[in-house]
Amino acid sequence: MGLDILVCIKQVPDPDHFSEVRLDARTGRIVREGIPAIINPLDRNALEEALRAKAKVSGKVTAISMGPPQARKALEEALAVGADRGVLLCDTAFAGADTLATATALFCAVRKLGRFDLIFCGNETVDSGTAQVGPQLSELLDIAQVSGVREVSYTGDNTLEVKRVLEHGYMRVRLKLPALLCVTKDTNQPRLPTVQSIMEVAGKEMITWTATDIGAPREHVGLKGSPTCAVGVYESKSGRRREIMQGSTEEKVRRAVTRLRELGAI
Amino acid sequence: MDFSLSREHEMLRDMVKEFADKELAPRALELDNKREFFWEQVRRSGELGLIGVINSKEYGGTAMGHLARMILIEEISRVYPPMGFFHQTGNLFMYAVETFGSDKQKKKYLPALCKGEKVSAFALTEASGGSDAAGLQTEATGDGDYYVVNGRKMWITGVEPADFVGFVSKTGDKFSVFIVEKGTPGFEVTRREETIGLRSLPVNEFALTNCRLPKENLIGEEGRGLVCALTTIATIGRTGAAGVALGVARGCYEAALKFARERVLYGKPIAGLQAIQFMLADMNVEIEAAKWLCYNTAWQLDQGKTSRDLAVDIARCKLYAVDVANRCAYRAVDIMGAYGLSPEYRVIGLLRDALELGVAAGSQEIMRVTIGATITR
Amino acid sequence: MTGREMGSSGEIWVIAEQRGGKVAEVSLELLGKGRKLSRELDLTLSSVLLGDGVERAADELVFHGAEKVYLFEEERLGYYQGDAYARLLTDIAREHGPEIILIGATEIGRELAPRVAARLGTGLTAHCIDLHIDEVDGTPRLVHMVPGWGGNLVMHVVCSEKRPQIVTVKPGILPKPERNEDNKGEIVRVKPRLRADDFSRMETVEVVEETAEGIPLEPAEIVVCAGWGMNALGDLSKAKELAGVIGGVVAGTRPATDRGWVGEDQMIGQSGRSVRPRLFISLGASGAMHYTTGFTGSQVILAVDKNPQAPIFQVADIGIVGDLGEVLPCLIEELKKTG
Repeated sequence: MGLDILVCIKQVPDPDHFSEVRLDARTGRIVREGIPAIINPLDRNALEEALRAKAKVSGKVTAISMGPPQARKALEEALAVGADRGVLLCDTAFAGADTLATATALFCAVRKLGRFDLIFCGNETVDSGTAQVGPQLSELLDIAQVSGVREVSYTGDNTLEVKRVLEHGYMRVRLKLPALLCVTKDTNQPRLPTVQSIMEVAGKEMITWTATDIGAPREHVGLKGSPTCAVGVYESKSGRRREIMQGSTEEKVRRAVTRLRELGAI
Repeated sequence: MDFSLSREHEMLRDMVKEFADKELAPRALELDNKREFFWEQVRRSGELGLIGVINSKEYGGTAMGHLARMILIEEISRVYPPMGFFHQTGNLFMYAVETFGSDKQKKKYLPALCKGEKVSAFALTEASGGSDAAGLQTEATGDGDYYVVNGRKMWITGVEPADFVGFVSKTGDKFSVFIVEKGTPGFEVTRREETIGLRSLPVNEFALTNCRLPKENLIGEEGRGLVCALTTIATIGRTGAAGVALGVARGCYEAALKFARERVLYGKPIAGLQAIQFMLADMNVEIEAAKWLCYNTAWQLDQGKTSRDLAVDIARCKLYAVDVANRCAYRAVDIMGAYGLSPEYRVIGLLRDALELGVAAGSQEIMRVTIGATITR
Repeated sequence: MTGREMGSSGEIWVIAEQRGGKVAEVSLELLGKGRKLSRELDLTLSSVLLGDGVERAADELVFHGAEKVYLFEEERLGYYQGDAYARLLTDIAREHGPEIILIGATEIGRELAPRVAARLGTGLTAHCIDLHIDEVDGTPRLVHMVPGWGGNLVMHVVCSEKRPQIVTVKPGILPKPERNEDNKGEIVRVKPRLRADDFSRMETVEVVEETAEGIPLEPAEIVVCAGWGMNALGDLSKAKELAGVIGGVVAGTRPATDRGWVGEDQMIGQSGRSVRPRLFISLGASGAMHYTTGFTGSQVILAVDKNPQAPIFQVADIGIVGDLGEVLPCLIEELKKTG
């Protein structure tokens, strides 16, 4: 028996290289080329939680991602840690999507793949960090959803209880499957692939679908399907004084304290 | 020519890199200073399938091959050379049993070794020399269903904690390879050497005094031991040492580069000074060259070529990579000035580790002997 | 051009969050911004509040500028209930058609906002750092400013057609408005007609408060933040001493938190807290972008680091390049001396 489990993953630029991002002066667009890509860190936690669920209550784990062709690598990494199947949604029609349009594309794919009992997402991505796709996908699928999940307990008979973090404390929420859970970096420790599991990747199913394959209406995905859009991107300017104190340590400190008083800080 | 690594090899590298950075790096300095080994990390390495990469799945291995082994040893050694060297020496016995041993032996020894639950060592060197293999003195005399063995081995890495030890002995006027298990009467590990490098790996002498070993402890046929030993050392030992050297060289290079970018002298980072740039450039070139020499050799082993076919390739990559590691380590210490000599930083440890690689699996001069004799034949 | 020409009801809403009857700081901050926008766009500033026994909280919303409060009170709404809250908010939004909805990007807000936005089929912009009005072809539009790429870039986002346009803002980014008990506002009690299926697939059964270690971060006037460079001193005692001398609160960067020097709720940065104190002192943190976004709203920033090339000096007002071991004792002495 077991559960059909889905994990949504995204390939993102490596945060260690964020400072290298540039704006194309001519088009005003973000230049991502040359910045190495990784699987979104929290998506690894989502994958790990899915694999643990599979181990606990048995089932099959599908990893899905909407992205350019290179996002395939992120799906392969998911297969390498133990996902059973990978699905890549790749189409120029998906480009420029905001979170609602992204959730719509994922929804169409889920509709084609069939019912899922449990869906795991990372709470947010490191690049845009909206934390919106998970909740929005759950709405389109009309299933229960909780973000900030720290702990999952399988209480049997299609029910779950989760511990959900708050700023100062936590909440316990009871859920009925099907459900979508967004996990945090503290939820678990993502496993590393093993040599064995790496070698098993080649034998696993990897599907690539276009917008047409999943029956996604063009006006609901990509830029066309995005209620919000960026009208400009700017490098962050800092209007700071940048006064570096000079002299010996004592002189620097004395001058700094004086300046802080002058500025009304102390 | 397509020099790109397969998807599986890239994934392996990423996994080992993360393993090394997250699980080995934090304690590397401390363990080196304390001369302690990472025994729990050995088990972890087994869990990840890294130890048995050249062993078949039937016996618990992952059979990913020699190039995979080269890459994983390199990535581990970049951060913690003793562990990379452990893969070098630890795989010797495993290869010997897999290639020359009986099915019974494979089933008995390999699974636990692949898992990292047990460890092994392989002993050739004696007081009479390692380079002069044929001059060894340890002797095994037949006695019914047993052999009685007498002799002393020296400079054997990893024998102190080893559960299983493979060693070369004279049998009559030929040579054989035997297995002795920890706790066997007449087998005693004696003094530990105060090695200058790879300090976390114990190097000891051991003595065999009227040690009785059953005939089933022979690996392969009696009298065919030299082929077993030399093939094993070439295929596994030399390539492993080369892999460690690659890792050490890269570790030095990365540390020096990072330092040069951050260290400010005369108002700007020293990475802007030509002298420093030249040193880094030389490191960059040599590491790249060593890398391809090593990878190509490993790849050819994966294509089924024997260590005899590849005698020159194997000797060449060990010779060059180890020389590069030593040069890079020295340059890194130089670039980092006083910090380079400080035990708080990595590079002085890497320099010491690089020194140890010279005599691993055959000295640098033996590599030259192999190459020189073959090319002038 | 007025806001009324943009949408139907002429309202700008702040969905207020409360815990145990106390209004979250971020909701008050949003009322401040909401007030400004409501004047510029000629809209009514309203707030929506759900809970149980939260009348005093509703009053607080009015004292901070809400002209109208839609109040849903019911025992079963005492805790945040995902399905119930989402449905009630969606229904009332459809009924009244606000132009703009502002929600705090809190743990709950970040879950609730996208669900409501999806139900309404409208746009949602997350964790804005500011909102302003500009004009396109004579029509005013709301521009949402969003940091991305660890804070290196700022995106200007709009929701051109769909209404309401929904925006979330992180706590500690916007200034809190003045509290005025003379403010008058209309409290509209809405009967939350709850249904069985509001709780059948999902129900919050318990909320557990865990008090944070030390003084809360967000309202502090002075924050002393320890970075990885404090490693050279071994512990935070000097940082704590400095904080003590000037009446500040101690916080830490991600590496400091990982090290165990400060708790998770005292972590400053993209994935942690944002603060905007009068004075922010950064000690031994190089100034990676995902850290600096946590305090760019500070009035004055003092940075101390041993590396003159550290990016922190680009975002600081006053910079001291030096060894923390030398600078800190000296700084503490100087501050004690001059009182």
